[in-house]
Amino acid sequence: MDKPLVDFIQALRHHGLPISPAETLDALNAAALLGVAERERLRAALGLTLAKTVAHRGVLEQLFDQFFGLETASDASANAATNSPAPNLTGAIPPERINAPLGQLLLKNSLAEQQRLMVTAAEAAGAQEMKLFLQKSRVSSKILLAMGDRELQLELQGLQAEGQQLALVVELQTRRQQLLDRIKDYVEQQYFLYSSGRGQQLTEATLYSAKLSHAEQVDQLQLKRLVQKIAKKLASLHSRRRRVHQRGLLDVRKTIAANAAFDGYLFHTRWKSTRIDRPKVMVICDVSGSVAAYARFLLLFVYSLQEVLPRVRSFVFSNQLAEVSNCFRDMSADAALAMISERWGNGSTDYGRALVEFSDIALADIDHKTQVIMLGDARNNYDDGHSEIWQTIYSRAQRVLWLNPEERSRWNSGDSIMASYAPYCSLLEPCNTLRDMERILGRLLKYSA
Amino acid sequence: MLKQGLSLSKSPNPLLASPEVIKKHYEALGYVCSDAIATAVFLATQLQKPILIEGPPGVGKTELAKKTAQHLATQLIRLQCYEGLDEAKALYEWKYGKQLLYTQLLKDQLGDVLRGAKGLEASVERLHQFGDIFYSEEFLEARPLLQAMQQEQAPVLLIDEIDKSDQEFEAFLLEILSDYQVSIPEIGTVKARSRPIVMLTSNNTRELGDALKRRCLHLYIPFPGAELESRIVASQVPELSEVLRNSVVAFVEQLRTMALKKVPAVSETIDWARALVLLNVTELDRQWVEDTLNLLLKFQDDIELVQPEINQLLVDIKQTIPRSNG
Repeated sequence: MDKPLVDFIQALRHHGLPISPAETLDALNAAALLGVAERERLRAALGLTLAKTVAHRGVLEQLFDQFFGLETASDASANAATNSPAPNLTGAIPPERINAPLGQLLLKNSLAEQQRLMVTAAEAAGAQEMKLFLQKSRVSSKILLAMGDRELQLELQGLQAEGQQLALVVELQTRRQQLLDRIKDYVEQQYFLYSSGRGQQLTEATLYSAKLSHAEQVDQLQLKRLVQKIAKKLASLHSRRRRVHQRGLLDVRKTIAANAAFDGYLFHTRWKSTRIDRPKVMVICDVSGSVAAYARFLLLFVYSLQEVLPRVRSFVFSNQLAEVSNCFRDMSADAALAMISERWGNGSTDYGRALVEFSDIALADIDHKTQVIMLGDARNNYDDGHSEIWQTIYSRAQRVLWLNPEERSRWNSGDSIMASYAPYCSLLEPCNTLRDMERILGRLLKYSA
Repeated sequence: MLKQGLSLSKSPNPLLASPEVIKKHYEALGYVCSDAIATAVFLATQLQKPILIEGPPGVGKTELAKKTAQHLATQLIRLQCYEGLDEAKALYEWKYGKQLLYTQLLKDQLGDVLRGAKGLEASVERLHQFGDIFYSEEFLEARPLLQAMQQEQAPVLLIDEIDKSDQEFEAFLLEILSDYQVSIPEIGTVKARSRPIVMLTSNNTRELGDALKRRCLHLYIPFPGAELESRIVASQVPELSEVLRNSVVAFVEQLRTMALKKVPAVSETIDWARALVLLNVTELDRQWVEDTLNLLLKFQDDIELVQPEINQLLVDIKQTIPRSNG
């Protein structure tokens, strides 16, 4: 009984349930205690031990039906078939007259035996290791080949050419087709159980480290989901309680001071408390053509971190600068992003003017707790970059981060004036994948923690 | 695997022999439970794992723990969680007052003990001979978690609304939940005399840690279906006629499909049914529903939303009831 259960758990893992070995043991113990005769009870027991959120419970219920439902159904029909083999055919044509093993198997009409051979062949053909749905038909034909399809085909062709036993040939062709259909069903089921989740994981892994500007339109939705997933991870990593007191180290100095009134007898204790401030963040994004794709994701990322970064102000610019903090507060992220690219995305970049405007709006609010993040390629169309303003920002802010979507080798080439800003950045890094963004924002949160 | 699984149940308790037995006994106690709940209690006792119970408010999460204690005729120890709950409130505390009082009272005795000792070292040496009397179990104030471990007969430990506590507290619970032991620096490790049956409830105000979830069986109690709810009401309010009970349950069922701030839970259905019995209502009509609606709905907005719909709802349930009976 253990084997199917372990297979089922494997399938659950492929669908994203984080099941630990300890939970696997729990499930096996539970199944051993309750027995597997009662389907609903087994379902409840597996739900209790393996699915730890309501969403996971839904996945488990669905997979349970797929996994155990189909198996029992095919078993039942297999039994029915073995009990009553089609009488007219076996009577009419004795099986000795075909030599290929698959042909004999088909003539025997035993679904159970066919099922058994099919499952063995499927395992060899890698039905559980498919990664993409495109592999399904290849795996199906591999299974059929492994069951001896080639010999059968050759013999059938020979018989047809000689014009012998035509009725048998036709019958075998139909049955072969039926078998192929069953194999396809089986492969389909295996794909759903073991691989449909894995395909998702594979795409996610690819997208995670792909250059964002190369991401296709179709991937946008998935990228968005991925951003939110990563943001959630970062948020839960850093969202622990921000103040620790009434425990830990005794603060001797404060304790003595607090008890001065009692003639030095220590009645009240004072503890060392650490207060962790949430960082104040300002994000400035270049949203002109080349950088727009990155700006979208950086903004999406930053606003997905609301929980741990509640005080974010964001600014976008191409030739003009505007504050868009409220857009994100009032609209959905999608609507805000669409509006931003429509209204500000079309000018030619002017870093100098953008910095002047930024210092008008926000310079007064920058203090030693503020972190400023700039996302841009510093391609300024050969204008004055006003790097002295950037220097002022650098001297006032806690930290200044510049994320450049271009490779290091392309900085300062052509109209890029990265070098003039570079001395005034606490951190200057290329940033063109989600992996980079996660790393940099994670460091930003850690730095403040 | 099979052997290991079975060896866990060393002393089979006839009261917990199988899910069916549990279900039957609970029903006798007036707690009508679904198969899933009975299976969860059975597995929790057999595998000796805590149950983490989630579900909307008022579906009987806390009640399950109470009934389990009643069923096993054992003590229910309850720990209500809240923000800022820490070890001192949950596990143990030294009786500072008693310690101070005793040192004052025993001052003379201490003088006797120390008499004749010359110098600081000799005095301290003398004191050491008497052991840590002030840090012994006599001076230990046991809070719920420690109490649960000191019981001779395995109690039911209910850790209510674990989601309201801090993450640190959750981490602190892990040692207790997996090994049923705690360490007190001054005394040493305290092992549970008998393993308590632990139930944790959560209203999902925050996501619980994976480590905690891994150690627990996860039981989700949803709103019951019409048939089960009808049985629950029947067991709680036996005076209610069957016809009225069916319309009450159907009406609440309808309310749950509406976009309300807070949908009525099972406990509210029971309250309503009790009220209808007290008022000698024989059939649901518009007037009665309107007068008693505040028992079901706890927000004025919800009441205003439902009021104009009452007639329609009553017509709807008239249509559904004959079908469910036939």
